[in-house]
Amino acid sequence: MTSAHFSSREDALLVDALRRGDEAAFVELVGRYGALMLRVARLYVPTRSVAEEVVQETWLGVLRGIDRFEGRSSFKTWLLRILTNIAKTRAVREGRSVPFSALAQAELETSEPSVDPDRFFPQGERWANYWASSPPRFDELPESQLLSSETLAVAREAIDGLPDAQRTVITMRDVAGFASEDVCEVLGLSEGNQRVLLHRARTRVRRALELHFKAGEA
Amino acid sequence: MKAFKFLLPGRVAPFSGFRWPVGEWVESGDEVACTAGIHACEAKHLSFWLLDELWEIELGESIARGRHKLVARSGRLTGRVEAWDMQAGDEFGAACVERVRELAARRPEAAGHLADLAGWAPHVRPAAVASLAARAFEAVQGENGYDDERAAQAAWLVGRLGLDVAA
Amino acid sequence: MASELTCKELVELVTEYLDGQLPADELERFEEHLVYCGPCVTHIEQMRETIRVAGGLREEDLDAAVADDLLAAFRGWREGAA
Repeated sequence: MTSAHFSSREDALLVDALRRGDEAAFVELVGRYGALMLRVARLYVPTRSVAEEVVQETWLGVLRGIDRFEGRSSFKTWLLRILTNIAKTRAVREGRSVPFSALAQAELETSEPSVDPDRFFPQGERWANYWASSPPRFDELPESQLLSSETLAVAREAIDGLPDAQRTVITMRDVAGFASEDVCEVLGLSEGNQRVLLHRARTRVRRALELHFKAGEA
Repeated sequence: MKAFKFLLPGRVAPFSGFRWPVGEWVESGDEVACTAGIHACEAKHLSFWLLDELWEIELGESIARGRHKLVARSGRLTGRVEAWDMQAGDEFGAACVERVRELAARRPEAAGHLADLAGWAPHVRPAAVASLAARAFEAVQGENGYDDERAAQAAWLVGRLGLDVAA
Repeated sequence: MASELTCKELVELVTEYLDGQLPADELERFEEHLVYCGPCVTHIEQMRETIRVAGGLREEDLDAAVADDLLAAFRGWREGAA
């Protein structure tokens, strides 16, 4: 199964085609990034329909600016940067401008352990804080199960159930393959905060997968 | 300089998965040999890195020194220490248990550690026995106890494996 | 400070480790721990597989209506540019 990450090289070829007015290239790029753009826009503006307008405006901005895009950043980073700028401006107009960083801050305020503390020997015991028993391996499962539509559905559900900032970071990093620095720049997060959000998101998805595989054995 | 390197079966590096050639120089930055240089250790730190295969390695220009490791720009496996095998691993574990037994004789609060260790030692990898034994000493004698046990482990390995530790 | 990282401490550092962001000293303690601790190696494997599964997800497509509007906008741009 191929990864859903689209390489910068593939995108660059599509951008070249786009400059020449190639409709199929445009459709392909919209297919790749449209849904992500909508999700991110929705974090800034109050309704889905306003978010759709932001996405529309963004693509227009991209088309108008495509000749000026020099490829110094990846296309998808440039795209998301334009999107968040438009989204923020629109949010102010809509009378709602909670910056994403504030959203993230609220999530960062709480703390959650990465693994259920029950999995380790408790404080005060001889081998405190070490695994009491070994976790099950995922990589010994057959590939067909690991990347089955069922498994993907479990991951999808786990990600959809995440708080906003965690969901956005894991979607950009692990689903869409953005680099760490680019996610930080686009969302206005420090490296440290971005990593904490990513860690928590991955932790929850991992747990969901572990439970799913365990249930399968029963 | 001469140093040592532990590898997984088939000369596979544990963190990068890189398969080492024998006798050929490997430059860091080569494929995925190591992102931050070639790692190896001195004899006194052998017990921190115990894996299936032990190799002597010649290192090129030094980049850094970690607490228990050396980092160089290049390295070349010069020969396998055949004496390090499963049998030696078992004996290593037994020797660790013995030292903890002596500790428990002097310090009864280590009795529980000894009981656990003696039970686990036959079933876990040598690196685990090494860590558990060192932690047992640490629990009773603090950081110095930990360091002393690690030194004793290294001395045992040098002796048992007949290692040449002259620079 | 204890000489070794505990498993409980290690699992908090996995994302930093996978991003190559652990400082040298901490990275060394982390790697030493993986040499003796099978369960932690397994935990990291689980995280790697989790990332791989996430990478296998595809975002759903935009609503047909939205996609149509975008296509219209594109054609408008192309006419204008011609």
